[in-house]
Amino acid sequence: MGFNMSRKICFVGGATTPFDYGPTGFESIEGGAAECIRETREDIPDFSLRDIDLMIYSHFSVHFGHQLCSEWIIHDHLGLVGVPQYRVENGGNTGGSALYAAVLAVMSGHHDVVGIVGWETMDSVTQSQGSEFIALASDIRYELMVGGIYPIYYAAMANKWMKDNNVTEEDVATIGAKNRNNAMDNPKAQWYRNEHKYITVDDVMNSRLISYPIKKYDCCLMSRGVAFALVCSEDYAKKVNPDGYVTIDGIGLSSCTIRAGDRLNFPGWTNRYGSNYPEMTEFGACRNSAEQAYKMAGINDPLKDIDFGEIHDAFSTSEAQIYKALGLADENNISQFLHDESTHMHGEIPMNPGGGLMGYGHPVGATGIMSAIECYYQLSGLIPKKHNSKKSEVPDVKCGIVNSHAGTGTSISNFIFRRH
Amino acid sequence: MSEEQVTVIKNKRKKFAEGPNFTEKKEYRPENVHETGLEFVGHEISDDGKVMNQFLHYDQLYTIRHGWNSRFFKGLLEGKIWGTRCPICGDTWVPVRTHCWNLDCNLAKTDWIEMPLKAKIHTWTIAGWSGRSSLKRLPIVLIYAVIEGSKVAIANELHCIDPWDVEFGMPLKIVFKPENERIGAVTDFHFEPDDDWSPSPTNEEKERIKKMIEPVYEWVKTMK
Repeated sequence: MGFNMSRKICFVGGATTPFDYGPTGFESIEGGAAECIRETREDIPDFSLRDIDLMIYSHFSVHFGHQLCSEWIIHDHLGLVGVPQYRVENGGNTGGSALYAAVLAVMSGHHDVVGIVGWETMDSVTQSQGSEFIALASDIRYELMVGGIYPIYYAAMANKWMKDNNVTEEDVATIGAKNRNNAMDNPKAQWYRNEHKYITVDDVMNSRLISYPIKKYDCCLMSRGVAFALVCSEDYAKKVNPDGYVTIDGIGLSSCTIRAGDRLNFPGWTNRYGSNYPEMTEFGACRNSAEQAYKMAGINDPLKDIDFGEIHDAFSTSEAQIYKALGLADENNISQFLHDESTHMHGEIPMNPGGGLMGYGHPVGATGIMSAIECYYQLSGLIPKKHNSKKSEVPDVKCGIVNSHAGTGTSISNFIFRRH
Repeated sequence: MSEEQVTVIKNKRKKFAEGPNFTEKKEYRPENVHETGLEFVGHEISDDGKVMNQFLHYDQLYTIRHGWNSRFFKGLLEGKIWGTRCPICGDTWVPVRTHCWNLDCNLAKTDWIEMPLKAKIHTWTIAGWSGRSSLKRLPIVLIYAVIEGSKVAIANELHCIDPWDVEFGMPLKIVFKPENERIGAVTDFHFEPDDDWSPSPTNEEKERIKKMIEPVYEWVKTMK
């Protein structure tokens, strides 16, 4: 794969609505999008809607809104008639895939200023109905009706992964507590807005069983929320945000099977990585897309070269699996890596200082955009302004990773962001 | 248009395959399932009069057309598990693939083969929560098992076992529902421990799992 890096791709601004689960419904989707853009303009007043030459919309499921093409409602509400637009949908990796599309659009030279709006309105149905809607992204012919919803698929994958890697439930519970506690500094986060309490590993361990070995506080939240991000050429970045812009130096997108059981012996993987990988336990598409992003960004040792990340913690178990797929640890030291709290705020590589999916929330189409925005805030020094304090600011950061993840690991993207 | 012209157009028509003629039709929908289409069924307004929610009901019947995968689902009605096999590389699958996954086989069409009703657990979990339609059956032991000869694992439930006794790699048999209860879906069968298998003695982890599941049993009892 060749990359024309003569053009630097920049991330210059963005914001989300508060993430929450109804019945609040405090804004409409188009109203939420407008407010995200208004907040972005407060940060970078020289940015004008007139500068946007492409809009990419990031939305997962029409089941939640019962509105096909709801991007059309948002697009003309923003006053952008005549501006080209299309929607990207790629499961939980919808946000990451929309960001990928925006980067490609600017990289191609065909577009200079690309806006991304992501959203989901999961509170339009009950939580159990919502889980079943999301499970429609599994192969319904084979998996949906056999008790299958995503936490169950993830629990089955995690159960074997934890055994194979000598990882305990307490080890992964540290992640469930970490991300919620990080969110306690972030007023837009769902955890901050609702439960609003610091929790311990014991709280995670004692929360109700969802699917062994996953418990309630190992799981992310269902949410309503909207996010906006602005991706552009370096010329434009220098114009609207000369001091704070961030460069997107590496991108990667990869894929795996829809049914987790099909990735045993898949020739596409055995050809690349040899036999017995990714098994049913590893996220091959995460490893593969990280390798692409690392190569493009010149990352040789991710643990040393990357300072922090905003990654897809749909489950505390999957965040741990992602650490391994990103090359931060291997089967010999992943257990120690977790014991050492390496990804806590005080650790070597803090992960999800913004709260992640478990703390901030997971309105699917907005999620990957939210992760990218939080990564940008860290790199551009905006955390004290956007969060309640400096507690969730990672000091002296130069390089962050953004990760977006779909299905049972079915589509995964990774991005390397750097302070310019 | 003259009659001659019409004939010319008809002769050019390429149909690829004859359309199926559906003669065996069964309905087993519960009485409360009605396709009402889109209907507003209520609303609510906040006490300050500023925010309104509206309730939309939508119920739709879908036809899942199994097409080339039909033999697998029809096989379930007959108590059989059909797999497919690539005539070139020999890879075999359940769930089935109608074309080979190996890029070197260039999407070779696969052959149908009847699979043995034997499998091994690859991995497992015990669900204490699920989608709306499965809540009353909790706790559910959901496993991924490799059916003998298959290259991949298939998800389904494991019955006839205490959840805490499940083991990686344990041998299984495939058991079908009685013929008159089958609907041609994967729920027509489940896994059970192989007749020769017996659980290992209890241990600390088994006792812990037992304790974790207790509230699930209690919760299900309270469901209407």
